[in-house]
Amino acid sequence: MPTLRMSKIDKQFFGKMANEQVDFTLEQGEIHALLGENGAGKTTLMNILYGIYQADSGCIELDGKPVSIKSPKDAIALQIGMVHQHFTLVPTLTVRQNITLGLKSKGYPFVNAKELDRSIRTLSERYNLTVDPAALVGSLSVGQQQRVEIMKVLYRNARLIILDEPTAVLTPQEVESLFIVLRRLREEGHSVIIITHHIDEVLAITDRVTVLRAARNAGHVVTRETSEEELSSLMIGRKLQKIERKPLPFSFASKGLQLDSIQSKNGPLGPLSLSIPAGSIVGIAGVDGNGQKALAEVIMGIRDIESGTITLDGKPLQHLSVKERKALGIGYISDDRLKDGLVLDMDVRDNFLLSSYDKREYTSHALIDTKRVQQATEQAVSLYAIKTASLSTPVRYLSGGNQQKLIVARELGDQPKVVVACQPTRGLDIGSTEEVHSILLDLRSQGCSVLLISSDLDEILTLSDKIAVIYQGTIMDVLDHDKVDMTHLGLLMAGSKTRRSV
Amino acid sequence: MKRTILSFAVMIIVILLVSFLLIAMVGSDIPTSLASFFRGIGGSTCAMAEVLVRATPLMLAALGVSVGFRTGFLNIGAEGQLYLGAISITWLGMTFPTLPAPLMLVLSLVLGFLSGGLWALIPGFLKAKFGLSEVINTIMLNYIAINLVGILVRTSLKDPTYPYPMSPMLPASTNFLQLLSPTRLHAGLLLALVCAALVYLLMFRTTLGFCMRAVGLNARACQCSGIAVSKYVIISSLISGGLSGLAGVSEIAGLHHRLIEGISPSYGYLAIIVSLLGRNNPVGIVFASLGIAALQVGSMSMQRSSGVPTSIASIIMGLVVIMILSRKSLFRCKEA
Repeated sequence: MPTLRMSKIDKQFFGKMANEQVDFTLEQGEIHALLGENGAGKTTLMNILYGIYQADSGCIELDGKPVSIKSPKDAIALQIGMVHQHFTLVPTLTVRQNITLGLKSKGYPFVNAKELDRSIRTLSERYNLTVDPAALVGSLSVGQQQRVEIMKVLYRNARLIILDEPTAVLTPQEVESLFIVLRRLREEGHSVIIITHHIDEVLAITDRVTVLRAARNAGHVVTRETSEEELSSLMIGRKLQKIERKPLPFSFASKGLQLDSIQSKNGPLGPLSLSIPAGSIVGIAGVDGNGQKALAEVIMGIRDIESGTITLDGKPLQHLSVKERKALGIGYISDDRLKDGLVLDMDVRDNFLLSSYDKREYTSHALIDTKRVQQATEQAVSLYAIKTASLSTPVRYLSGGNQQKLIVARELGDQPKVVVACQPTRGLDIGSTEEVHSILLDLRSQGCSVLLISSDLDEILTLSDKIAVIYQGTIMDVLDHDKVDMTHLGLLMAGSKTRRSV
Repeated sequence: MKRTILSFAVMIIVILLVSFLLIAMVGSDIPTSLASFFRGIGGSTCAMAEVLVRATPLMLAALGVSVGFRTGFLNIGAEGQLYLGAISITWLGMTFPTLPAPLMLVLSLVLGFLSGGLWALIPGFLKAKFGLSEVINTIMLNYIAINLVGILVRTSLKDPTYPYPMSPMLPASTNFLQLLSPTRLHAGLLLALVCAALVYLLMFRTTLGFCMRAVGLNARACQCSGIAVSKYVIISSLISGGLSGLAGVSEIAGLHHRLIEGISPSYGYLAIIVSLLGRNNPVGIVFASLGIAALQVGSMSMQRSSGVPTSIASIIMGLVVIMILSRKSLFRCKEA
């Protein structure tokens, strides 16, 4: 008998099916991957299991008994725990306080810190989860914070643990130690569900895989008996076309974008030097939060610099405004499309106009030429296959992928000389991801300097000519794409220069 | 759609019930009171003209407020900006009494717009450059402006031949055209309607308006796209205050013809409500200002003939605003 059986789960959001007749079973003591593209319904299904959402229909059985899970409280009582993609820790509290948050221990309201520390240490040792109970959570690395999250779940006696995209924020080494913890959990008889869209992780660590596609079950396989090809075709419903990055047969005269000893104003960056020649893609590898965003903003002029120079074809940029830089042909895809990229309450047309509102072709005197804007937007929408009800639909109502495509159309549509792409495919399905990748490669072959910042190492490795590793605001090293050794890359990402290759 | 209709029906019923209750509480007869309320609004040409007269400053100031709100500049200072406009035309009329009427008209409008605008520019600049709250600063500038009028009508702008704190009558060249003698209706209404059309053009047809609206909805995205956020906040504060300044000019030139303390019975604050009810849209504002003006004029008539205090209008207004703000959430309306 499986330890968990979810059957015929239906869940609708605003008339759109997020889960449709989904079945899911979990055996005692296994690591089970829930694989699917963004928006396939993985997280929804797990949120239903954890009581954050209620299914419209369908039933959940634990050890053969039907259960009703109305809130995370119910789920915790049933020994189900979930580690969310975005951690739910209080940075100003200690590890112990975070782990015991909301629990009434013996002697409540008085806290026996020693006793709590002792039980936390026991747990740590049992599962190889080394953390100091007295440390402030804010001072821990992301990998350590994730351990605290797992400890929190274990401390509440979970035997079924859900991890939502656990590797998204980790360096390769941290991923390795997470895997060790997961194996240890399996040995202790816990059942683990990993929500992911990375096939290599699935192959590396799991016992079985359930694949979701477009809100439905797409397959159910034993990891040992499957292959990367099978999983990817189950996941996207067709064969994956690997993007080929061919070396360019010619080179460009232009020097492209040069950054020289940049120091950002009271910011996390610098001193940093980087060169992005015309017709090349430079990928920035690094753990999230090491100054990637600041780097992009410094190039765009959104963030001020203290010292250093930025030049495009030898022309200094650092004193120009955002607008002047954009006018020189620098396109910017921000990692936060909702806050930085779009005005959600304006329509598709207005958002398309956002960075070109004063271009001569769209204005006559101070008036906006609505007709021309309409035409240009129509063209972009059909060229980039943006799905929208109409051009006057507020972009709030577009899906994440279509919002992103709108930004791509706006920022990259006008033959830019430089592209600063921050997480350009975050939240996109595989089809749209491929499109964005091929657009970036096209721009490269047209002589554009592309700066690609991504937390997806695969994306960086596939597209980049050179890979620069960023750590605490400085570039640790720049590697040629064909000379990348993963261990070395991981060490650089973690800030260690010890095994530096020349 | 059903829920929308239901929600408005419930709102009207609640408003009627509350008004009946209040009228009954002060011991007046409900039918007589209501009759006098409606007679006060539409009973005669004079009554109707009075609604329009009241609506004029509301419309102008609310247009100003809406321009600010659309750009994310929460201008609570229309009252003060209105008084600045009133001061400017009084000064102009007293200093250059011999100017010909057409020139006087143009100068008084330009000067009124600029003085209201510059008054709002102070908090606008402080917000744009240093991130200081324009809400607090505009309110504070209201106090300063109101008391500035108090000082001026006792000193430099005082009528020396008269013991009371007020300016002398301004020369006839400053007066707006009277539209419908013997009512008090004046050309200020036309000015307000023209401004409504201009604000509509500005906000929805020009690049300037486009940028201002975008800044109001997501300043961060504008910054990232190269729209100079602080520039548009400053421009918006200037236009916002300028329109309120015109409201002050219109009150003096059309109605009072001299500067007195308290020429505005809180028009500047009512303008915020009008702008809100009109959804910051010029067309909506025209109708909302007529509605609020009618409510006020009607309640004054009710006070005269049935002894119901005019404070009932303020109570109803407060109720309407709260209900409109909470309507969608309370009735779970799914409107775009």
